[in-house]
Amino acid sequence: MPAGLDQLDEPLVEHSQRERLLNAMARSCAKKGYGATTIADVCEGAGVSRATFYELFKDKEDCFHASMEVALADAMGRIVAVYSPDKPWATMVRDAAAAFLELLASRPTFARMALVEAPASGERAFELYASGKRVLQSLLERGRDDPVEERAIPSTAGRAALSAAESLIVGQILAGNTARLRELLPDIVYITTVPYLGQEEALRQARAAEKVAVPADG
Amino acid sequence: MPAAGGQKRERWRPPRGRHRLPPEVIARSQRERLLEAAIRVVAAKGYAATTVADLTREAGISRTTFYAMFDDKEGCFLAAYDGIVDALVRRVATAYEGEDEWPQRARAGLAALLEALTEEPEVARLALVDVGSAGPAAQRRFRAAMQRLTPFFDEGRDFAPGGRNLPANTSRMAIGAVTGLIADELTEERAEDLPRLLSDVLFATLVPYIGPEAAAREVGEKER
Repeated sequence: MPAGLDQLDEPLVEHSQRERLLNAMARSCAKKGYGATTIADVCEGAGVSRATFYELFKDKEDCFHASMEVALADAMGRIVAVYSPDKPWATMVRDAAAAFLELLASRPTFARMALVEAPASGERAFELYASGKRVLQSLLERGRDDPVEERAIPSTAGRAALSAAESLIVGQILAGNTARLRELLPDIVYITTVPYLGQEEALRQARAAEKVAVPADG
Repeated sequence: MPAAGGQKRERWRPPRGRHRLPPEVIARSQRERLLEAAIRVVAAKGYAATTVADLTREAGISRTTFYAMFDDKEGCFLAAYDGIVDALVRRVATAYEGEDEWPQRARAGLAALLEALTEEPEVARLALVDVGSAGPAAQRRFRAAMQRLTPFFDEGRDFAPGGRNLPANTSRMAIGAVTGLIADELTEERAEDLPRLLSDVLFATLVPYIGPEAAAREVGEKER
């Protein structure tokens, strides 16, 4: 288990002040960025007093970290849920990518926090972001049909493919196209499978992904 | 590292007081000094902690002069950032155009990029990592900068036999793979190891266009 994801199963208490603060933090970051967000913004967004904020969190960074932690645990849970040893590897990659895109498209606030704000908002948040990425990477590299040793592909191929997909996704988020992220599925299937399956098969998988009905939320 | 306020600098400055240099020469030199200062200060302190006062002190210019050139810290940082990117893209383009076949062009361009980033690790970090924390405008600037590499990658499409059938976003994704691998090294403070990353970034560049077997062959070619 990568560092940073081992304490993530804390359940969300519905409508608690803590949950409201966590959501308000995510909303404010999506709107004006982590740097410009103030504790006053978060308290106001949550309808919670400053005193209560400081009972629950040490500072702004602490609150951001907690917000990211809860959201990330939920996200990773959904993505890892598609993994099954019975599925062909390419199908598993496609389903994980579809689940990820669906999650981001349906929750733009989380999308922005996890992929735009967290990597640039201090060491603790970065570590969470990095741990999420490592989970996705191990998912991508696990259970390949083809033993990688047989080809001279570099050990960084999986990480590179994930960065490629991430860059495309972040570009769409920054351009305000978060709702259309699902359309990227074929391209992401191609870039994540081509180092392992070769071009012909990766293109076939990408074309098949065009027809995939994106599973409904949840 | 930014020098302390009163310290003597070796860099040439126009003499104080009355002199005969044309005003546009003085203005250009002040602007250049300011942009260089912005890179040094932001690289050392981070963007958020940097103030306009830091910039004017480091550049040895007055506040009035600063505001005659830029509206705010962000405008100054973005101008400095554009300067870095221009220099990087020029260097990549020169190396790239010195070769004939696309895989060799890609290799030369990537080698030049890694070399330039290794020479100035602080600039490299600023260009690829810290820019993310400098606000949405800087992040969009970063994306735009990356896309300036697109023509070099798009040629892979013409080179590859099945290039027309590749996903429309192939070049964007390949650029993301390369910059992601480089940013990972810089985040781990391993700028001095960047030249060794060449085979990995070359593979990441080639694989979507020509597939893993051919990409691995190209990577292996000059290594042995």
